[in-house]
Order: sequence, then structure tokens, then C-alpha cells
Amino acid sequence: MSAATAVRLPQSAPEETPRRHLDIAPTRAQKRARPRIYAALVAVGGIVVILLAQLLMSIVLADGAYRITSLQREYRDLAREQNAAQEQLEQLSSTQNLIDNATALGMVSSGNPVFLDVANGQALGTPAAPSGQVVGTGGNLIGNALLDGSTVLDPAAIAAARNGDALPSQLSSTSQPGVAPVGGATGTLPSPTTR
Amino acid sequence: MIDARRNRRRLAVAVLAVFAVVIVFSIRLVDIQVVRADELKSVAGTNYRTDTLWGTRGSIVDENGTVLATSVDRFNITAAPINVDDRGFDRRIEVDGARKTVRVSVMEALQEISDITGADVQQMYEALTADRDAQWALLVKSIKLAEFQAVVDLGIPWVYSEPQPARSYPNGAIAGNLVGLMGTDGPLSGTEYQWNDCLASDDGQVSYAVSEDGVRMPGSEVVEDPAVDGGTVHLTIDADLQWFVQQALAEQGSAIGADWGTAFVVDVKTGKIRAAADWPTIDPNDLNSAGAEDSGARSFTAPYEPGSVIKTATVAALLDAGKLSASTKFTIPAGYTIPGVGFTIRDSVLHGGGLHYTTAGVLVESSNIGIAQMTELMPLQERIDYLHDFGFGSGTTGAGFLGEDEGYVRPAPSDAITSVTQQFGQGMTATSAQVASLYQTVANGGVRMPLTLVEGCEKPDGSYTDVPDPQGTRVVSEYAADTTMLMLEGVTTQYHLAHVLAVPGYRIAAKSGTAEVADGDGYGSDRIVSIAGAFPVDDPQFAIVVTFAKPVTMKTSAAAAPTFNAIVKQVIKTYRVTPSTVPAPENPLFW
Repeated sequence: MSAATAVRLPQSAPEETPRRHLDIAPTRAQKRARPRIYAALVAVGGIVVILLAQLLMSIVLADGAYRITSLQREYRDLAREQNAAQEQLEQLSSTQNLIDNATALGMVSSGNPVFLDVANGQALGTPAAPSGQVVGTGGNLIGNALLDGSTVLDPAAIAAARNGDALPSQLSSTSQPGVAPVGGATGTLPSPTTR
Repeated sequence: MIDARRNRRRLAVAVLAVFAVVIVFSIRLVDIQVVRADELKSVAGTNYRTDTLWGTRGSIVDENGTVLATSVDRFNITAAPINVDDRGFDRRIEVDGARKTVRVSVMEALQEISDITGADVQQMYEALTADRDAQWALLVKSIKLAEFQAVVDLGIPWVYSEPQPARSYPNGAIAGNLVGLMGTDGPLSGTEYQWNDCLASDDGQVSYAVSEDGVRMPGSEVVEDPAVDGGTVHLTIDADLQWFVQQALAEQGSAIGADWGTAFVVDVKTGKIRAAADWPTIDPNDLNSAGAEDSGARSFTAPYEPGSVIKTATVAALLDAGKLSASTKFTIPAGYTIPGVGFTIRDSVLHGGGLHYTTAGVLVESSNIGIAQMTELMPLQERIDYLHDFGFGSGTTGAGFLGEDEGYVRPAPSDAITSVTQQFGQGMTATSAQVASLYQTVANGGVRMPLTLVEGCEKPDGSYTDVPDPQGTRVVSEYAADTTMLMLEGVTTQYHLAHVLAVPGYRIAAKSGTAEVADGDGYGSDRIVSIAGAFPVDDPQFAIVVTFAKPVTMKTSAAAAPTFNAIVKQVIKTYRVTPSTVPAPENPLFW
């Protein structure tokens, strides 16, 4: 074997040592800090809480819906009652109703208009006797189909007043300070005198 | 090594689980959206409900807010015949603390409804049994809240209800001529019709899902279209004064047997109508309370030959043109023959002629002959122009009432007779409103304000629209107008009706009118009588016109005088008009 035939054999590659899979060993403290069961519990618990909250919420919402419905109904009913009361008020305050009541009370309309000038205490105008009832003998001729002809007055009280039975107890109890009770002169219109 | 493999397996399981869930959901989705879609849709549809949100039609109110027309709640009682059980229904009642069940038959139930509402049992039974499978039948129409609640409290299972908004007129026939009428399908006449755009409401819609027991599902409510309430129309009239004027018309109209009567009270300075009365007047609550011909407002829509109240316009025009003064002397003959046609004009009170009237005398004593003589002082076209300027035959008063008439003045060249008679209100026509406008103009120093009946439309948010902005136009000079007023004062101081017309302490200008009424064969014995005027003369505030048509017992303007006087007194009280402070100046009628 000559040296020429010697073949340079390639140097064999250095043998790779298999790399060790290395983990850093957790410390005991780290191990304790990874409580897997606890995390699962939190997750499940969270879901349960959410479900419960949702359930409660829907209960409250449904309850609210019933409440809204009942309040809306109450609102509607009260609005209707208000409208009905308003309607009645407008009928009672209608001119025809006031005339019926005024006439039943025996009120008369004044004659010539007279004004009292408060600045100088003088009366302006020429007074005249009352011309009689508010309406003529034909009564109120301007109809109102909504009224049934009844008055808000107590017929007994009117009859008593017509017969001259003054209501002394009532008068004295309701008269205001500074306003003297009406004197019972018959044949004149009762009117309070101010001091 | 083992750890890594375990991790991978875990991941695979999780992914698989997620996929499984997705697949389950997808199947469910396809099931809901495709397979059971129709079934679910129909179920959802029946649980979805649409309600009408009712808008309220606006009110018509007077100057002070007194309600003349308003909307009220009424209810219809309906039934579902398909739900009616012939055996009746069970009602649980409490008697002496013990609960009992009582069987109520169909007829008993109907009787109970009838007791509350007054409806006819037989009719209700027929409505109920006409179609036993119907879902809806009307039992009682338009009842009030108290009755409605009583019916609901009966607890009859097949009885339902529906709201039925209605119209109410709390003041009845007061201003019924102006307010107008509402039919079942909408407004028919008057302000209700003319101002419908302001008054009308828009109904809205709300949709919502309901649960099985009829409760709205939270959050499902959709207001598709909110309801819009109507606006309030404010009239210029005073309801109490309007009542008084109507009452005065009715009392006197019946007493003298008139066909109809009208009266106006107009605020001189603003042209606002404070009362516009018609007799007879309809009560809009009861459409049968007056005949069809009496259901409107003649005061605006029915022109007539007004007669001598027009002499005021003639004299004011001649004064304005400088053709006359208050003291111009006229010698009144027994008759005035119109040149060329041989027609002779006479005075209403026949006399032998030779009367020495001043201009004031012609006006106050209402001499047709004197007015005819005055027509010679001014060419026809100018006289017609003046009448047009005063508003006759040239347009409406500005009040804008539905169907308001313009009156008629024959254009030049008119015939020889009309060209003279129109100057004292025959051969021309005018409405009461136009006559009121004439006296407003003269009382307002010659400036004509368009009359206003509506102060505006108040929207639900409080804003006003359609507020009139009347612009006055001068018709005659202040001198001409004031002089005419002073001359007219003679009617309440020196004329034979003075003692009826005068109100002590107040200076009042007035003019009488007794017009002949044309029928098919010319002028007959019928008259239209009126008194028109304004007061106080020293500071004119109100113009008043009273007219009666075809009185039977008293065919002169004396028939209208007491009504004029009563209205003047009432206006004084209503608006606190203080007495005149300056005495009336000398106003000679004769020379």
C-alpha cells in the first residue's frame, strides 16, 4: 500500500450529542401558584353566576313588564277619569247652567251700568233699578242639549230662603271679619254691608 | 415528551368539542330557520299586536279660553258572538261573606247591560245572534266613562269595548252658528270645517309582542307612528257676550215674529268680532235643534238689501270728497223723481215736502229724498268706488268665515233707479258682517280694519300659527268719519227712537234701517229692520249692528231698537266701558 493510494478519508463529523430537553424545574412555590382545580372552579362558578344573574334579570324584566303594563293601564284610566271630570266641569260652567242656577237663586241683572272711580270716590253713570231677571219671561232661549235642567242647588234651601227663613246660624258662622251679617229687612235684596 | 403529547391531545379534544357544539347549533339553526320556520312564524305573528294611538282633535275656545267645542271620550260596547255560550257563564259573587257561583244567561247579561246603558235588549240580541261565528258585533254605541266602567265591571266574558272619540259642545247653542257641525265622517260646516287643518289630529300606531297572558314583552314595543294631537282654535268672541246677544235676539225676534235675526259686536280699533249672533241658532250637540236653513251663520253668508243703514256710507263719502258739510242745507220735497225714468222716491214717513233738513237732518231723520238729492253731487262711478272701498260688493270682511258672501253693488253703468237707491241700501246687497264693518270704519276715524274672527291656531306645543295681522286701509278722511259719527249721535238724542236707544251717560251713534224686501214680484210688505251704530262717540270702542228679517207685529226699525240698547248696556258691563266725559256738541237737524 503506497501512500498515493491512500485516500484521505473525510474526517468523520464530530458526533452530535443529543440535546437534553431541559425544563426549569418549578419551584415549590411556583407549583403551588398553579392551582388548576381552583381555576376550573372559578370558571364554572363564573358561568353559574352569570346564568343566575341572567335568570334574575329576566325575572326582574318580566316583573317590570307587568308593572309597566299595569301602570300604563292605570295612567290610561286616570286620564279618562280626568277627561270625564273636565267634561263635567265644562258643562257645569256653561253659561246656560249658570243662568239656570242664578235664576233659581232669584238673582237679577242690574240696570244701567254704574262705575265707582276709586281715585276720587265718585260714581260714574246713571243708576237705574234692576231690570228684572237675567232672562225674560221666556227663560233662557239658547239651548244646551247637554244639560238636563237640574241645578246644583238644594231645592229645600231655596224654598226656605223664599219663605224668609234666613239661615242665621250659617250666616253668622260664615261671615268674614269686617263684614256684618245681613239685616233681615224683608222686601229688599240681602247684601252684606262693609264697615 | 409525554407532556407535549398530552397537550396536543387536549387541544384536539377541545377543537373537536367546539366543532361538535357548532354542528349542534347549526342543526338547531336549520331546524328553526328552515324546517319549522312557517310554524314558528305563525305563532310569532299571533303574539304580535298593533294598537292605534288616538290623537285628540283640538278644541275651539273663545277669547277667554271658554271651551266651545272639545273632544270627549266615548266607548262602544262590542261583543264576540263566537265566544258566546248559550248556557251562560259562571259569575263568582260574594254573599254574606260566602263565595258563591251564579250562572248568568245570555239574556240576563244583555238585560244587565241594558239597565246600565239604556240600550234595547232585543236589538242587542239580534246583533249578537246575526252571525254566531263573527268575531265582532256592536252592542252599544258611544257611552260615557261611568256607564262604560259599569259594563266592564259586569265581567261578561264575551263583552269587549273600543274607544270612540266624540265631539262635545259644552256651551250648547252659544256660538253654534260660528263653531259649525261635525258629522260622523268629519267636519261639515263653520269653524270646524274651515279650520280643520288646525284642529285635526293624526292617529298613531304602536306595535308590540305580547306574552300568552297579554302582557307586553319587555323591549318589544315599537312606536311606528306617534299620535299627533290637534291644535286649539282661538276665536275672538266672548262667549258670555255672545250668549247675551243671542238671547236678546231670540227674545225680541220671537216677540215681533221675525224670520231670523243677526247681531254683531265688533271691536272698533282692532276689527275683532266680539259677538256674531244668529237667531235661530243650532245647538251642535243636537243636529235636530234647528232646521237646515238655520244651521249656519246668516250673519256672514246671507246678503240682503240693508236699507237706510247704508246712508252713513253715502254721507261719509260725500264729506270725504268735500261735497258737503254737516250743516249743508237741503229742502226736501214730497218726492224725488229720478230724471228720465219717471220713478219717484218717497220717504218712509210720507210728508208734504218743504222740510228744511241739514245734512245731519237728512241722515238722522233718514230721508231717502235727501240722499237722492245728494247723489247729484257726485258721479256714479265715484259713488260705486266709495261703496266698494267700504267693502260692499268688493270682497269679504276679512273674517274668513266659511262661505262668507261679498254682497253685491251693481257696476256702472247701472240703471238710473239703482244708481240712486243703492245710496240708501236698496238695489244692493250686503251681509250683516259687512254692515258691521262699515260702522267699524266710520267709528275708527275712517280706517277700515279687516274683521277677525279667529285669533290663531295654538299647536299642542304652545306655538301659534295663522295669527292674523290686520292692516287697516283708509276709506274716508278722519274729518269725514268723525263728522259722520257726530251727526249719527242725533239718532240717540233727537230721533223718535232716542228714548229707546239711549243709555244715560253714554254718547252713542246709531242709524236706523227699514229696508223693503224684494220677493218674486218686486217689493212687498216684508221689511228687514236694523239698528247699526258705535259708541262712545268721544272715543269709539265698539260697533254694534242688530238686524231682524220680516217681522210681523212691528215692521219698522223700532223693532230692533230695544235689542240694540240691551246689547250696548251688556257691552258696557262686559268691557267696563266708562261713561262719556265730554257732552255732545250742537247737532242741528233743521235750518
